Amino acid sequence: MNPENAINILLVDDEVKFLTAVADRLTLKGFTVTTATDGDAAIEAAGKGGFDVAVVDLQMPGTDGAEVLKILKQKHKFIEIIMLTGHATVDSAVECTKLGAFKYLEKPYDFDKLIEVLKDAYHLRMQKKFETNANRMEAIQRLSMGQSPLGILKELAKLDDGQK
Amino acid sequence: MDVPATGNDVKGGGVPMDNVKEWFGYDSLAFFGKVNASISHELKNVMAIISETTGLLGDLSEMARGGTPLDPDMLTSSTESIIEEIQRGFTIIRQMNRFSHSVDTPVVSVDLMEILDLVRNLSGYLSFAGKISLHAIDGVTPMATTCPFILQAVIYQAVVCSFQNTGPGTKLELSILSQNNSTWRILFDGFCPKEFDVFPDDRIKRMAASIGVSIHSDREANRLEIGVPVSMEGLAAQPGAPEMPAEEDSLRNRP
Repeated sequence: MNPENAINILLVDDEVKFLTAVADRLTLKGFTVTTATDGDAAIEAAGKGGFDVAVVDLQMPGTDGAEVLKILKQKHKFIEIIMLTGHATVDSAVECTKLGAFKYLEKPYDFDKLIEVLKDAYHLRMQKKFETNANRMEAIQRLSMGQSPLGILKELAKLDDGQK
Repeated sequence: MDVPATGNDVKGGGVPMDNVKEWFGYDSLAFFGKVNASISHELKNVMAIISETTGLLGDLSEMARGGTPLDPDMLTSSTESIIEEIQRGFTIIRQMNRFSHSVDTPVVSVDLMEILDLVRNLSGYLSFAGKISLHAIDGVTPMATTCPFILQAVIYQAVVCSFQNTGPGTKLELSILSQNNSTWRILFDGFCPKEFDVFPDDRIKRMAASIGVSIHSDREANRLEIGVPVSMEGLAAQPGAPEMPAEEDSLRNRP
C-alpha cells in the first residue's frame, strides 16, 4: 500500500455498479473510501467530517451533483470536490467551476488520471489548511497582545468557525 | 391543418412531402438532439462501469502476480457485472435504433402502443424520470396514420415536463382510449398539476397542431389528454377502426 494514497474519499454516484467497482479499485490502491448512492446520503456522510476529497457524479436523481457540490463547499471549508459526468457540456463545466469544483472529469475516464487528480486535490487541500493554520497562528499571536483572556477566547471561536 | 387528400408527391396519409419536410424544422431537431444526448449519457455510464470493472480485474491479476490470493467471488461478480452491462448497452442501442428510424417515413400507419413504449424507454434515461405504466386496450391495436416522430416528441415532452417536477419516485399511468371513430385519446394519469400552467408551450403546440394532435388538461383528475387523429386525412374514419365507446363511458370504465 502506498502511504501517499492515505486519502479519505467520499465517492458519490447513483450507478451502484460503477460506485462499487471504483471504490474497490481505490481501496486496493490504499485509499480510504466511503460511498453514497445519492446526494442526500453524501451530504449526511460528509456531515460526520473527515473527508479530504469528494468525487461526485453530476447527474443524479433527487439532489443532483451540482447541489451536493454547493452544499459541501459551504459546509466544509477544506474539502476538495471532483465532479464526474457522462454528459459533459461547457455550461455544466463552467457552473461546477464557479461553485468551486477542483476538477471536472468525463466518464469513462482513465483510472490513473483519477488517481492523479485525487492526489492533486489532496495536496491543494493540505496547502490551503497549512496557509489557514499559519494565518491563524499569526492572528493568535496578534490577539495575545493586549486582549483579556475572555476576549482571546471569543476571537479564537471566530477563527475556528468553518474549519470542519 | 389543411391536408390535401390526394396528389402525386404524397407520402402515406395523403400528406404532401414538402409539408412533412417543413415539420422537421428546428423544434424537431432540438428534440432529436435532446433524446440522443440522454442516450449517449446512458451509454457512457455503461462504458464507465465496464471500464472500471475490467480495470478492477486487471488490478486483481496484478496483485495475484505479486502473491496475493485471488478472491473467486470477486472475479465472478465482476464478470457478471460486465455481462449485465453489455446486455444493458445492447438494449439502449436497440431503443436508439428504434428512435433513429422513426424519421424514416414521415407519415405512416403506426401502433400507438409502440410509440408509448418507445417514449417510456427513452424517458427512462433521464436521471429525474419516474416510472411509467402502459395500459393497452384489450383486443384492440390502436393504429393511427400519423407522423410518429412528431407524436413521440409531443408525448416525450409531456412526460419530461411532468417528471421534472415530480421526480424519480413518482409514477405516470399512460393509457389509450378511443373517443370516437376518428380519434384516439392518450391519457396521462398522475400528471404533475404544476405543469398544467406551462405545458404545452408554444413549441409543443406548434408540433402538435402540425399533425392534428390536440392537448387537453383535467386539473381535478391530474390528467393530461392527448388526442391523436386516427388519420391525418381530415380526421376521417379509417377502415377497420374499432367501434368506439362514448367519451364519458370510456372514462368511467377506467380502472
